[in-house]
Amino acid sequence: MKKVLEGSQAVAEAVRLAKVQVISAYPITPQTHIVEILSDYVATGRMNAKYLRVESEHSCMAALIGAQSAGVRTFTATCSQGLALMHELLHWAAGARLPIVMGEVNRALAPGWNIWCDQTDSLAQRDTGWMQLYCEDSQEVLDATILAYRLAERVNLPTMVVLDAFYLSHTYEPVDVPEQEEVDRFLPPYKPAFTLDPGHPYSLSPLVTPNAYMEMRHDIALAMEDALAIFDEVEGEFARIMGRRYGAVEEIDTDDADVIFVTSGAVTSTVRLVLEELRSRGEKVGALKIKLFRPFPTEAVRRALSKGRKAVVVDRNYSFGASGIFAQEVRAALCNAPGHPPVFGYIAGLGGRDITTQMLSHIYFEVKESEAPLRESVWVGRQEVNRAT
Amino acid sequence: METPTALQNVLYMPRTFATTESNKTGAWRFLRPRYEEKTSPCGAACPAGEDIARIEMLITQGAFKEAWETILMENPLPGVCGRVCYHPCEGRCNRREFDAAVAIHSLERFLADAAARNETKPALPRQPAAGRRIAIIGAGPAGLSAAWFLNILGYETDIFEAMPAAGGMTRWGIPAYRLPEAALSAEIARIEAQGVRIHTGETVTAARFEEMRKSYDALFLGCGHWRGLSLDIPGATGVGVEEGLSFLRDIRGGVRRDIPGVSAVIGGGNTAIDVARTIIRRGGRAIIVYRRRREDMPAFAEETRSAQEEGVELRELLAPVRIDAAAGGCVLTLQPMTVVGQDQDGRGKIVPAAAAPVRIAAQRVFTAAGAGTAAPWHEPPASGASGAVLALSHCVLLQDDRGAPVVYGGDLAARDKNVTQAIASGKQAALALDVLFRHGVGSVRERLASCVVGHGPALSLEIYLGGPRRERNAHIVTYEEINADYFQYEPRLVQPRLLIEERHSSFDEIELKISAHTAMREAGRCFHCGICNNCDNCYLFCPDVAILRARDMTDRHIDYDYCKGCGLCVVECPRNAMTLEEETP
Amino acid sequence: MQLEAMDRELMCSGHVGCPGCGATIAMRFALKTLGEKTIMVLPACCWSVIAGPFPQSSLKIPVIHTAFETGGATASGVRAALDMRGDEETTVVVWAGDGGTFDIGFQALSGAVERNENFIYICYDNEAYMNTGIQRSSSTPYGAWTTTTSGSDWKKLRKKNIVEALVAHRIPYAATANIAYPEDLVRKVRKARETKGSRFLHIYASCPTGWRIPAEMSVRIARMAVQTNIFPLYEVENGIDYTINVKPREYLVREYFKLQGRFRHLSEEDLDQIQGMVNEDWERLLRKAGERA
Repeated sequence: MKKVLEGSQAVAEAVRLAKVQVISAYPITPQTHIVEILSDYVATGRMNAKYLRVESEHSCMAALIGAQSAGVRTFTATCSQGLALMHELLHWAAGARLPIVMGEVNRALAPGWNIWCDQTDSLAQRDTGWMQLYCEDSQEVLDATILAYRLAERVNLPTMVVLDAFYLSHTYEPVDVPEQEEVDRFLPPYKPAFTLDPGHPYSLSPLVTPNAYMEMRHDIALAMEDALAIFDEVEGEFARIMGRRYGAVEEIDTDDADVIFVTSGAVTSTVRLVLEELRSRGEKVGALKIKLFRPFPTEAVRRALSKGRKAVVVDRNYSFGASGIFAQEVRAALCNAPGHPPVFGYIAGLGGRDITTQMLSHIYFEVKESEAPLRESVWVGRQEVNRAT
Repeated sequence: METPTALQNVLYMPRTFATTESNKTGAWRFLRPRYEEKTSPCGAACPAGEDIARIEMLITQGAFKEAWETILMENPLPGVCGRVCYHPCEGRCNRREFDAAVAIHSLERFLADAAARNETKPALPRQPAAGRRIAIIGAGPAGLSAAWFLNILGYETDIFEAMPAAGGMTRWGIPAYRLPEAALSAEIARIEAQGVRIHTGETVTAARFEEMRKSYDALFLGCGHWRGLSLDIPGATGVGVEEGLSFLRDIRGGVRRDIPGVSAVIGGGNTAIDVARTIIRRGGRAIIVYRRRREDMPAFAEETRSAQEEGVELRELLAPVRIDAAAGGCVLTLQPMTVVGQDQDGRGKIVPAAAAPVRIAAQRVFTAAGAGTAAPWHEPPASGASGAVLALSHCVLLQDDRGAPVVYGGDLAARDKNVTQAIASGKQAALALDVLFRHGVGSVRERLASCVVGHGPALSLEIYLGGPRRERNAHIVTYEEINADYFQYEPRLVQPRLLIEERHSSFDEIELKISAHTAMREAGRCFHCGICNNCDNCYLFCPDVAILRARDMTDRHIDYDYCKGCGLCVVECPRNAMTLEEETP
Repeated sequence: MQLEAMDRELMCSGHVGCPGCGATIAMRFALKTLGEKTIMVLPACCWSVIAGPFPQSSLKIPVIHTAFETGGATASGVRAALDMRGDEETTVVVWAGDGGTFDIGFQALSGAVERNENFIYICYDNEAYMNTGIQRSSSTPYGAWTTTTSGSDWKKLRKKNIVEALVAHRIPYAATANIAYPEDLVRKVRKARETKGSRFLHIYASCPTGWRIPAEMSVRIARMAVQTNIFPLYEVENGIDYTINVKPREYLVREYFKLQGRFRHLSEEDLDQIQGMVNEDWERLLRKAGERA
């Protein structure tokens, strides 16, 4: 059924449809709409779930680790500082092989206080063992959230569904909300691979000596590798029921493109507009949308980008002392591919600044006219600053 | 269709599937705890060697029969001893240092009374018949005890008693208010039921004695000190002067006789006290006259105290000089004495004081100044004319070519003459004879030394027979070795007693019965020094789950595979029934 | 003493607890009372090690090891999941040390108790970070040496009164217990198990290694802590009703301090001062329990 929903509402609808049993959350702007709606669903009986109104994000993730270990489907949403506070337990959830699903609204990290869009918060958690799905619009948010449960429970690793602060979380769009029956067909009740059970008393997450730790880590690595194929498989099933499919990456007009934009999140929609405009002027430009950031779809990225002469990554994030994080990942994916194109890195839209079509056109022409990148990262749209005060 | 993956349901993750029991942490140990029972001070102090700590433990469990049988293994007369023993056990009780000694004698009497009331039959281990007959002369506590233990050891026993009923001094010398006839008779009946033959009214003469030495395999002579010693002063055999022991015997024998007016009793022993208290019950007044001080009196302090409660007057440091007949009775002349230094035996050394003699007018004078053998041949020989004389602590063993070996016991051989020492003597005699028959006289000392309780001198039949008590360390548990934290202050049992007024007119037993509940509570005060009462502290506090218990919760052992030797079990044992020692590599 | 259910053994031999470890004694008593239908949440503490390295467990109940500061939160989640699964029979128990309770885990504990989460939180208190090598915690008592309060810098601050902090939450049941008083401890665990909502037990668990005491003295010193009023045994219902459970013999605190290497540096004056503090706290407790006007 088509509805006009905020991205936050789309998340909440998906969580309801996924029949999540335990929700734990701590409020942080701009995640609040998600957890308010869920609280209302639980209070009004639209969801049969326990809602833990915990006293911090850290406790929030701890509670989900407890709940998921005791054999139920769980959910939380957070962003920015909250996610950073969870950091320790993000590692824990993955190491404990718990298929927790989280809605992560990309928000800038302080200081100074900034509640607006920036991807650095989620990308900083790339080594925690969580799968990460970056969404372009509210429909994708809803679909990805439902799919995330299926994926996570197949590989026994937690999954983050990432959406842009305000651009998605607080923006109303028409969304096709599937029927419960359709979701039930796609997502069967949770069958945990292990659970805390007095009938089968074992300990979870005990001390592990050097004798076994490395093999356990390797198992997670294997699970992540498997997840690439499983993602495709699960998306296929989703498409059969819902009629929608996104791909781990999406290639847009790449076949004959000289310059290929690499984007993630809502900025992809802006790129689509720019592509339309530039193509109409005869420019050979394409785009690669990366949805699945962990596991990183290296092969798909290589395949797509090797079609072009230049790749340009627009990062709404930054790793200090290095470069934009998507740019790093793309460079890493390409470096062992023979004859790969140069990768131009652009930093744009940090802390909620708009990434405009003009900005993207400017980037395109700059790249088109450069043989090779002069520097790893070019910060676009910077203003003059007055340091005198 | 789900794609099979290597990971589904076979996650290699931090999840356990085994226990820690494959880690043998016993390898860490450098100290080794073990169960080792030790000796309680009460048991070591008991002349009969009773296993008191264990008896009290059984009482707390309500196992009255087992407790009683445990006494009977060491003492055939708990009903007598529970009443008249001077209970040295209580004087050594570790609980004294905490609050007050356990009323051990009351509990002993309780067990005997309960057994008598219920006509309980003891189940005691009897050794296979030895095919030997032993004659015992005198059915006093020594003779009864000798017969009892010889019987358990597999001997046939005949007791010959001159008096019309068995019991010896316990029957004829101790007044009924201390030892009722029924209590004594129940014990004798049980001893007979066990197979001991008692022939009463049979006086054994010297000639018959020699005959018996031919017809029996051994003899025990325990005919006691029956002849009251008379005072060597003018008038000591005159009118109005009576001998205390004979007087007591008459009263016990049923002579109804009033003793009005004032009577003087000369002596400081239990007989003197008994005579004085009997006089009170016969309507008279009694003045005990003693040449030394009150604290030097051989009488049990409690008896003296009771006598005074009942109105007996005690005059100390007065030595009798003469007794003169006077109108309506006699006059006793006494020399005041004074203490200068000490005797060898620790009592005050007395000499006449520079004071005028004291005179006491009395209707009659009773003498209770000691007793001796009735005939010279009762005296144990200093050495054998042709053979061996073995002088033990409580008896003298003679083996010569005139016949079967003879043991002189009871008052004839004991330094301290009382019921419990007589029982100790009978036991020593029985064990000595058994050793003699089995291993020869040369082994007697050594074998007896190996079955003493603690450091002796009391002997234990259970130890002699190789029972579990043999495993105990001779070390006598001190109060410092008790973990007093496990005990609460509890007042000692207050024995209900007859009112003073009731005592004046009656020979009824003064100390009244206690209930089973009271007995169990009093036994619960016992520390059970040195023995395991299954308190489970070792099991409970073991951080390594290394104490294993049998299903019935009684038998415990240490699992040295896991015991790290922390020693907690040993320290938390409230009663020092465990030992911690260095691990031997 | 004969304790009901004491046959039940849910702890295994072969664990790597130090000889004489009070925390293992506490665990044995608690598990004997709690029984098989228990899920234990185990934040970082000595017991994270004692419970056994993979693939071993020294506990015969399901255990979830969790991050240091998360006892209260993880247990909230486990309970929520059990409720969703319709399992009302299983008891959820957090088993945490003093660091994980008084310090780093205090927020999660406070949050859970404010929400009146339905589980038992047991803090076994060995009065310092023992697993990491005897560093001071807010539970370390006044006067103690630790590796981070050494020499003349011994701790000159009071131990946090954790039970009072929990009582301030109006927790349905809070109690102190001590390994030297198994009957009292077992009764409290049972009472906690039978109470609904948040329940907190503060168990004194001596540490021979960290306190510099002989292993065999572990229980004796624990008992002394009660007898000196240093660690009174009491319980509080609904944050209001105080009951003192064991009447102490009121030994002087000296008797307790002189047995332990961690207090060896204290002077007679220091001990007098500590006696004063203990007396003051005890009087305060007596007033709360209505035993003093």
